[in-house]
Amino acid sequence: MTMNRRTFLGTTSLAAAAAVLGDGARRPARADKPVNFSGWVFKPDTVKDYVDYFNKKHGGQVKYDAVPWATYHPTMETRAMAGEIVDVMYCNSANRERWVDNGLIRALDDLPGMDELKKKMAPGNLEAARSRDGSKVVGLPYFTSIFILIYNEPMLQQAGIKAPAKTWDELVEHSAKLKRDKVSDTPYLPNWNNSGSGTMPQLLSDCHSEGATVFDAKNRVIVDQEPGAARAMERWQKVYKDGLVNPEVLTKTSSTDTHRLFWTGRYAYHTNHSYYLRTIAGEPENSKLAPKKAKMAMYPGNGQTHMFTEWYTINAKTKVLDDAWKFAKFLGGNQNGDWYVQRQWCLIAGLDNAYPEMYDNPEIVASYDKWIDLKLLREQYKKGRPNNAFKEPWFSEWDSKAIAIVHNMIRGTATVPKGLKELAALQKSLV
Amino acid sequence: MKLRESALAWLFVGPALLCIGLVVVFPLAYSLWLSFTDVNLLRATGPAVELWGMRVPLFHWIGAKNYLQTLADPLYWDSLWRTLYFVGAFVAEATLVGLGMALVLNERFAGRPLMRSLLLVPWSLSRIVVGLLWIGILDFEFGALNGMLLRAGLVDGAISFFKEGWSALNVLISVYMWNQAPFASLLFLAGMQSISEDLYAAAEVDGAGYWRRLWYVTLPALRPIVFLVLVLATVNGFLMLDLIYVLTMGGPGYDTTTVSWHGFKTSFTFFKFGPGTAILYTLTALCLLLTVVYHKLVLARFEPEA
Repeated sequence: MTMNRRTFLGTTSLAAAAAVLGDGARRPARADKPVNFSGWVFKPDTVKDYVDYFNKKHGGQVKYDAVPWATYHPTMETRAMAGEIVDVMYCNSANRERWVDNGLIRALDDLPGMDELKKKMAPGNLEAARSRDGSKVVGLPYFTSIFILIYNEPMLQQAGIKAPAKTWDELVEHSAKLKRDKVSDTPYLPNWNNSGSGTMPQLLSDCHSEGATVFDAKNRVIVDQEPGAARAMERWQKVYKDGLVNPEVLTKTSSTDTHRLFWTGRYAYHTNHSYYLRTIAGEPENSKLAPKKAKMAMYPGNGQTHMFTEWYTINAKTKVLDDAWKFAKFLGGNQNGDWYVQRQWCLIAGLDNAYPEMYDNPEIVASYDKWIDLKLLREQYKKGRPNNAFKEPWFSEWDSKAIAIVHNMIRGTATVPKGLKELAALQKSLV
Repeated sequence: MKLRESALAWLFVGPALLCIGLVVVFPLAYSLWLSFTDVNLLRATGPAVELWGMRVPLFHWIGAKNYLQTLADPLYWDSLWRTLYFVGAFVAEATLVGLGMALVLNERFAGRPLMRSLLLVPWSLSRIVVGLLWIGILDFEFGALNGMLLRAGLVDGAISFFKEGWSALNVLISVYMWNQAPFASLLFLAGMQSISEDLYAAAEVDGAGYWRRLWYVTLPALRPIVFLVLVLATVNGFLMLDLIYVLTMGGPGYDTTTVSWHGFKTSFTFFKFGPGTAILYTLTALCLLLTVVYHKLVLARFEPEA
């Protein structure tokens, strides 16, 4: 068979068209308009990877940019003021309600599949996902966390301490013994750092563990009326005065910096967000307490502790709602049953998950087994107390200004009753 | 002809003036305006102006309320006294150390060019890096200084430089001085190089030794540089923020909270941009006031005669 120019052009065009159409059929339909997505800087390369994964696998056109944590929320507000629409945004719990009140983000209840996600979410996280009046869900969980007690097993064994402290008195006793025996200069490392993730979550955790209520049902600060809160603060004063803690923890600028001190193996006890145990017990290249020389114990006292969740939110003015929701669901839930992002954060960073079924995943169970007792962690979650006061407009400022008051109590420059009264008065001054 | 020259001049300086207007004058004027308004970035519902198609919200004018609130806040006054101490100590340290280094580097000795280059290293580092570097030196747990002191047996236990507010504040001043004194030194050195050798030769003929030459020749000739260094150090001292962010976050308690940190927190943590800018404009006013004072003290009596 001979092929003339016309036949050649005809067959090659057909082949090319078939190839293009065939490829198109294999790929999911591509979104018409880009979805703008912003988050604060935490493992931005990982985020970029899963954005790429989404774009390829689910036909998205997501454009991602990361903003430094310190200026993330003001930057997003400034961008909103300038008329820019960022369709999907991270939002931390202390700022979320402000975005709801001012109409920056939208409710998610009416979106397809949300009811399913609500059913799958742990009750505490679902409660936290709702707006202040409880009428609507305004965010999907990025991750959740809980304060835990971490101990240095070899150090306790060296000192002849057979089991980690079950009560706060025991923890103080152990610390005093370790210092007396010159096993550790400063055996206890509480997370009293000066950032929003330090001193105040630690205060809430210790108050809860003492049975104290920091906020009443109307979210007013009542810590000055709670004997448990006074007990916690007196204990803090004592351990500081007795030199059982590193005094510079008060000027550490983040929980990350604080937990790195525990890597040295020179402390016996540490209280911090659960995910930090992953680097302490799971990264031998960084920590002297890996693999698994540092362990988790139930929080002392009644075991109750502070838990919180961070969020993915959708801009109320988005012009690409379907695509934005599809992507938000991929991030904070699942896309066609694939929990890719939620699973990734568990595996890569040990960030805990608001969906309990994630902990049935064999890959996640095997991964957690390398650094934590997952069963105990799940038990601890049952005693986690979410804080609804974060939904109040005054909370963010109170939470930040309260740190100095608490530090003054710790250092003894303010008495405990005076400091606790100041915490309550501060809230009243901001309402 | 004159009109054409004038038009040409405006043509040449016009682009520069436009740039300065956009990136200096407009932000300054707008932020000053904000300090008299009730700002909520998410509810920019007040009046607005259109600039090249961009809506610039003017928010609601509330007069001097932000300033009155600021002046009624005890935290502001605590921060202000702390800031004045910080600036006073920093300006004195940076000026004296800068002058001392410049005097040494103005002498002839082997390795002088290398020393002059090394001098600039602290100043050329980003302040975030400077902060992290000094954490590495001063930290209670793993600081190099504590390590050396402990190994040399000079101390029984590690020293905590950030435990007490007073000590933490002085550490901040010293670290900032370490970062900024090289620049002062550079300015002094440039000033010294422009002093005529004849003046020194004449002073020597008159029997003046090193210290008298320094007092009667060098320092008077450096007055404009001293003025410049004082003004720059004062402004930098008032506005210093990044080292606080890296080293102490204003703590422990409020013990290292300066007015600039207070203003930053008010604006960027509490989203109160009206009060935040009001707090920071009080610093601007103080800077202007001190510039006038410096001018009177250092320069005014030495203006060249007409």
